[in-house]
Amino acid sequence: MHPPFSLIFFFLTAGTSIGLFIFVYFIEFLKLFGKGQGLPKEVVLLSGVISLVLIGAGAIGASFHLGHKLRAWKAIRRFRTSWLSREAVFSGAYGFTLLIYLVLKYFEISPFFEHFFGILTWILGVLSGFSTAMIYASNKFVLEWNTGITVIYYLLMYLMLGSSAFTILSYYYNLTYTGTFLFLTFLFVSLGFGFRLAFNIRQFYIKRPTLNEALNLPHNRPIRVIDRGSTTENFCTKEFYYEKGKQMLPTFIPLAYLLTFVIPLFLLIYVWITGIINQYLLWIIYLSVLVGSAIERWCFFVEGNHVQNLFYGLYPEEGYKLRKGFMERKETRISLYG
Amino acid sequence: MPQFALVIDLNTCVGCHACATNCKEWNTQAAFGPLSDFDPFGRAPEGVWYNRVFTYEMGEFPETQVFHLPKSCLHCQDAPCVPVCPTGASYKREQDGIVLVNYDDCIGCKLCAWSCPYGCREYDEVDKVMKKCTLCIDRIYDETLPPEHRKPACVLTCPARARFFGDIEDPNSEVYKLIKKRQGFVLFPDMGTNPANHYLPRQETTINLEEYEKHILKPDNPLFLEVLRRHKPGFASKSKQEQPQEHYAEQLP
Repeated sequence: MHPPFSLIFFFLTAGTSIGLFIFVYFIEFLKLFGKGQGLPKEVVLLSGVISLVLIGAGAIGASFHLGHKLRAWKAIRRFRTSWLSREAVFSGAYGFTLLIYLVLKYFEISPFFEHFFGILTWILGVLSGFSTAMIYASNKFVLEWNTGITVIYYLLMYLMLGSSAFTILSYYYNLTYTGTFLFLTFLFVSLGFGFRLAFNIRQFYIKRPTLNEALNLPHNRPIRVIDRGSTTENFCTKEFYYEKGKQMLPTFIPLAYLLTFVIPLFLLIYVWITGIINQYLLWIIYLSVLVGSAIERWCFFVEGNHVQNLFYGLYPEEGYKLRKGFMERKETRISLYG
Repeated sequence: MPQFALVIDLNTCVGCHACATNCKEWNTQAAFGPLSDFDPFGRAPEGVWYNRVFTYEMGEFPETQVFHLPKSCLHCQDAPCVPVCPTGASYKREQDGIVLVNYDDCIGCKLCAWSCPYGCREYDEVDKVMKKCTLCIDRIYDETLPPEHRKPACVLTCPARARFFGDIEDPNSEVYKLIKKRQGFVLFPDMGTNPANHYLPRQETTINLEEYEKHILKPDNPLFLEVLRRHKPGFASKSKQEQPQEHYAEQLP
């Protein structure tokens, strides 16, 4: 699949925005039950404004992959059936309730409504991330994406971005949560690492359809594409098969792993062992996760193989398990003695 | 519920691309047009087509068969492209089962194309909307056209008469009978899309020539000249007059 850069941008901004708010409000929520000391008002407001600006920027950025940006509001119509519609509704509602929460927090009008909108924003943020992940995970024609791992990993990335961003905030305001959030960042990055590995390993075990299945022909007949209907590329070959990306994938996947998981985990262990915490280290951790996630998202799109590529002979076969019943081609044997 | 669809006979399709060309020609100027083109006379022409013809080779050399597969929107009865559309621009008509895109509502998110396992939707970079086969809905209901012309452009143009159009749910229709008689099949039956467009399979035609050997008129057949005399009266009289009998065989092409 061709990676749309506007969607990668949306992922980064929405991920940091929602991830950050999840942790900020969670600390505030715990205070209701007498657990922890909560956060200073200015930290909540600052992180809230960052979240609001980022989700706004993300929404504007995401609209760049649309053909008609001004019609984007119509995307709320099919909430009942479309995950994209749900994402649009939840993301918009998340931004709106976040704004209300911040206003209530700033003027300290009513603690009840403040927490009511806080909880609502928190839930909408999680639902927004879940809906975005489900757009990919519910697509049963891109078998790499069509798994629960996609959703879990997507939400973990939000938490990775959020916790590493909150650690910086906590460090600047000299809060008591820095150590906790270093651990949480380590936890989410480790879990993310595991799920990303599972996502990659799973690709070798997917039972893939064959061209014979696409054309509804017997499985034992070798078949090959002679002509694709046009001499040049078309929308389908460009959108569903990014040739240049496929060539770059062997370089970019290790790079994504390195930046998203290996470097942050190494730095987090270094901070733990040496006890040295400074803003540069924390910024490097966050930026490494951020840049790594961007590359990882790019890889996620390029790794996806749409089944329509079968008709063009662009669907992977080698290195993957073939479906039961597929008979391999006979070997051609050349013998001098008949 | 009626379900209009195309039925394509792969046995007679010669892969001439006339259906694709005429589809483009009609739709680029009709109600759903234009279908944008880029660099149309240059090195890499590219554009939106509702219909594309693929060619496949089946079997192993020397026992191979080549067949052509014209592929346009299959107007699936459980169309996966319809529920994913966030605006409702992509919809399936109840009265005839045709899947259409409302260009005024389409935001160009391309999610419907992602959800189509057949790759039958194409994004128009100029109009910024998703486009697809309409089964020539602007022709089939046009009462100003003579009744025999109220068919999709691809069906009317096919020189091999390999394309049929009709209601596949109507037992009296030609397409229904063809599907039943020739065991019509669909593409990707496992995907749960239940496509409406059907394909009629290729039939292997084998003739055992040994059986017909005795009927074949060959110069070494002892009855060769006798057969010629009986069936071509002029031949016998003319040959008797002009040339000696033993040279008849040499004159044959």
